[in-house]
Amino acid sequence: MSQPRKVALITGVTGQDGAYLAEFLINKGYIVHGIKRRASSFNTARIDHLYRDPHEDGVRFFLHHGDLTDSSSLIRIIQQVQPDEIYNLAAQSHVAVSFEEPEYTANSDALGALRVLEAIRILGLQKKTRFYQASTSELFGLVQEIPQKETTPFYPRSPYAVAKLYAYWITVNYREAYGMYACNGILFNHESPIRGETFVTRKITRALARIKLGLQECLYLGNMNSLRDWGHAKDYVEMQWLMLQQDKPEDFVIATGVQYSVRDFVNAAAKELSMNIRWEGKDADEVGYLDTQTPRAIVRVDPRYFRPTEVETLLGDASKAKNKLGWTPKITFEELVSEMVREDLKSAERDELVNRHGYKSMDYNE
Amino acid sequence: MSEITAPRRALICGVSGQDGAYLAKFLLDKGYEVWGTSRDAQMNVFAGLQTLGVRDQIKTLSMSPVDFRNVLQVISEIRPHEIYNLGGQSSVGLSFEQPLETMESIAFATLNLLEAIRFVDSSIRFYNAGSSECFGDTGGSPADESTPFHPKSPYAVAKAAATWHVSVYRESYGIFACTGMLFNHESPLRPERFVTKKIVAAACRIAQGSAEKLMLGNIDIRRDWGWAPEYVEAMWRMLNINIPEDFVIATGITQSLRDFIATVFAEAGLDWRDHVVSDPSLRRLSDPLQICANPGKARKLLAWEPSCLGPEVARKMYKAECKQPIPID
Repeated sequence: MSQPRKVALITGVTGQDGAYLAEFLINKGYIVHGIKRRASSFNTARIDHLYRDPHEDGVRFFLHHGDLTDSSSLIRIIQQVQPDEIYNLAAQSHVAVSFEEPEYTANSDALGALRVLEAIRILGLQKKTRFYQASTSELFGLVQEIPQKETTPFYPRSPYAVAKLYAYWITVNYREAYGMYACNGILFNHESPIRGETFVTRKITRALARIKLGLQECLYLGNMNSLRDWGHAKDYVEMQWLMLQQDKPEDFVIATGVQYSVRDFVNAAAKELSMNIRWEGKDADEVGYLDTQTPRAIVRVDPRYFRPTEVETLLGDASKAKNKLGWTPKITFEELVSEMVREDLKSAERDELVNRHGYKSMDYNE
Repeated sequence: MSEITAPRRALICGVSGQDGAYLAKFLLDKGYEVWGTSRDAQMNVFAGLQTLGVRDQIKTLSMSPVDFRNVLQVISEIRPHEIYNLGGQSSVGLSFEQPLETMESIAFATLNLLEAIRFVDSSIRFYNAGSSECFGDTGGSPADESTPFHPKSPYAVAKAAATWHVSVYRESYGIFACTGMLFNHESPLRPERFVTKKIVAAACRIAQGSAEKLMLGNIDIRRDWGWAPEYVEAMWRMLNINIPEDFVIATGITQSLRDFIATVFAEAGLDWRDHVVSDPSLRRLSDPLQICANPGKARKLLAWEPSCLGPEVARKMYKAECKQPIPID
């Protein structure tokens, strides 16, 4: 006698967290449905290894076209899938881009969450379907206390953070007003080898690997003094799932409780590549020299990457997650950096090999 | 023509509402050239402006604040010195029925106006109508500008987002933009779906012989009710100090809805207990029980001091409803 398999629906399944969560849930025995946006080019690289032809037997991973800005697509998919759990991970998730596209950010990140919550209500699934909202440490922005926990007041500093603030509160509101099992995970920065290439950690590990192999000259960064609490995405998706398995819905901060600067991250990544960086200058004039016999500048600051309002420091206190759910991160900062560098070095080596044989490798630019 | 003699131009988005009408009149009296927008200005009779006798002096035009092209065009044409963003879905109850429209008409409208200011002329000063609803249940301790938000309706969540958008644009781009977190402010121009107006209208009819019962939700809720004509002055003052900041605007006096009802019916020479029925179906899904405010910052930095306090608000509304003459401001 076996229990029917649980069904999960993941928005943003093509992203970093979506890919890790899908794999995690499949391993837990779930049937997993993912929503991806239409695109003229392929956008499923992170989940291709999970995908099977739906004609095969025992397939437990399915993809649907849909969009958080399109209510009817969400209602249709949720009606068809009848999920036990929905993980709303889809978003315009880049802080800097949100200054350039504030309206789109609000539409997908703020209203997107509302559309999913409304779809659950419209379909009468509010007693069946549990809802997870991917909230963010960016809500704390100009931090009101250090470290930040569930009770710390928010102070968003970007259109991204404001949109996520709306999504946070509308999730709380639907829990309070309609008794839905809906909760927020306030996740601090979480990285991995499949982090988007435009995020600073991945940008650093890719660039240093390419510099190491002579494929790139220099890495340009924004605020080197920004302090962040970086964990591994793989640890964090477990917590997303745990939050939906409790007796009552609650919001949780997910973080490592350890803080490093962007400069620290560069140093750690360089160390993995046996490169030693010597820093000179300050602020916009700061330069990182590769410490060899003929030192050359490999890291520079480009003020273009400064944000109109910077978030200087984020440090999470995940005591509640530890005490109530027994969750602690397993992967250390050094292991995270090491894994990211190793994977990016592999791609750099592949590119270098391709180039050496007279073919052009792809040069991805921001 | 010297700069000094040229009138300042103000653009009021949402001029057909209660606050829009009072603000329009206030700014006219200050010598402003006043423009007002409504989603369809041709179809709108602007009853509020007419009631205040200023309809002909306000230049009105259509603007949908959720349509960026439209917003940009209006601001480019009018070139206001000050913009007052008072539009948007304004009912907490309705926001549970129309959460999406509520968010769009409040937060997206604010975002579009801020973006248009950035684009056209970032010296334009911007007032955003926030709401005390953002604070949620403040319990016994009065909310001030540093009180964290805990919004309890889709309306309040949208207002919280709009307030933070204003904060981000002020801090990121140096725009003179601020939010007034106004607590309940009433007047004869309130539409009847607001509970205060519903009460005075019913009391008036009952005093004139109607046998109806007044059905109300939770009458134990406590609010800080002020007089709208005084509140619009605080909006103007906020845009005419040196540094843009957010302000709580309230009287600092909290009473229960029961008190409000009792005052109105007493004014009508009636005992409210004979006419009011509490109907649980009118209760909201989640409603703050008690909201109280500390307007100390506004008193200090804006020199703003309301004079219509506590039961006086209920009395003035009742008198106006029964067509007894009251001073407009």
